[in-house]
Amino acid sequence: MSDIVSILIVMIAASVALGSKIKEEDRLKVLSALWLVVILLSSSIISTEWARMTSELVDDEGDPHYGLPDIWEGKQVVCFDFPEDIAPEGYGGGRHHIDSDGTNFMTDSNWNGSGACVGGFSGYETGIDLFDEAVMASGGDFAYTSTQFSFGIQIDSIGGVEPCDVAPCPEDFSSGAYYALYHNGQLAPVGISDLPLDGDSVVTWTIMTW
Amino acid sequence: MLDAHAVTLSPAETLIMNILLLAIIGWSMWKAERGLNPGNDVAVLFLLGIFAVSGRVLLEPLPNVQPVTVVVLLAGIHYGAPRSVVLATSVALVSNLFLGHGIWTLYQAAAWSLVGVSGALLSERLAPSGTISVSRVAALSVVAAFLFDWTVSLSALHSFGAEMLPLYIVSGIPFDVLHASGNVFFVAWLAAPLSEMMSRHNLSRTVVREAVASRT
Repeated sequence: MSDIVSILIVMIAASVALGSKIKEEDRLKVLSALWLVVILLSSSIISTEWARMTSELVDDEGDPHYGLPDIWEGKQVVCFDFPEDIAPEGYGGGRHHIDSDGTNFMTDSNWNGSGACVGGFSGYETGIDLFDEAVMASGGDFAYTSTQFSFGIQIDSIGGVEPCDVAPCPEDFSSGAYYALYHNGQLAPVGISDLPLDGDSVVTWTIMTW
Repeated sequence: MLDAHAVTLSPAETLIMNILLLAIIGWSMWKAERGLNPGNDVAVLFLLGIFAVSGRVLLEPLPNVQPVTVVVLLAGIHYGAPRSVVLATSVALVSNLFLGHGIWTLYQAAAWSLVGVSGALLSERLAPSGTISVSRVAALSVVAAFLFDWTVSLSALHSFGAEMLPLYIVSGIPFDVLHASGNVFFVAWLAAPLSEMMSRHNLSRTVVREAVASRT
């Protein structure tokens, strides 16, 4: 919305500034050319901003994109789901939606949980590449720490949140918590490093307990 | 063997070339019209049709910016509803032979016809005492952009249910704005010269008006 308002302000200011200096019979010619050029040059920004403003959440529960903005249909998404009281700072109060350019454009306050989904990506073939890109798009808000094992990497924390912040992790391992990886709504059979992606994959990190 | 045409143009270069081609067509049309005998409205409609089709095809890289709506609107104002409908339908069909023909052609023809009929119905207000009011035509061309786009959007009902139509229309508003701003540009630059040209070949309509006036 702010981009569209900025463009409108620039157009109005330029029209007012130019309008008084142009002969009346030429005014519409010059101003219409100016408006057309500005709108054409900013059409991509306007379309993207408008699509975000008018997007709706996918309501088909069978769709891997369920609960995500419809402008991400056919695109790749990474979600970070947290319990309500433990989300990284600024990501409470529902699920936030961050576009691939880093714009936080929508919050689903009815979502049962908190966190964010970062989406609108395409062309990524493995989970780790998409994950890294999503972390970067979030401005590092979901930066992670990990431990490399022979079988792959284990995610120790995301956005400063460790699984054991959610549930107690006694040393005898009688209970515990961990970051679980879901791919299109199903528990991923392999780790993030080896996860092959579809063109519209939804990768979700969520804290599970045992 | 020499491949003399192995030149790849960038999108911007293609657009510049297309605008130059359209300028040549417009200038040629202007010169050709000067050689016509007054009252040859059929020939003028034909020239306008060529300009509108060329404009739509050549400006295709610019999203929803084309001169057809304004040309049809002016044809409605100067030549009345039936001829503007012929022009609108022909332009929709011929340009879609280049751009892609399908069920949407019917809706585009209907929508542009609606624009032409609107111009005809409002001709007394848009061209009071025979002189075109550029500001009024510009205002109507903005309305015409939305009227055209929303009418064509009805073709989407062939693909999905009516409940999706409002969302479909709302999501297309940036493209409607592009159409509207393009229309204002074309009105500002073309309405006066095209109206002058059409007025020179408007004798048959004047005759009809005079005939009707003499009967009443």
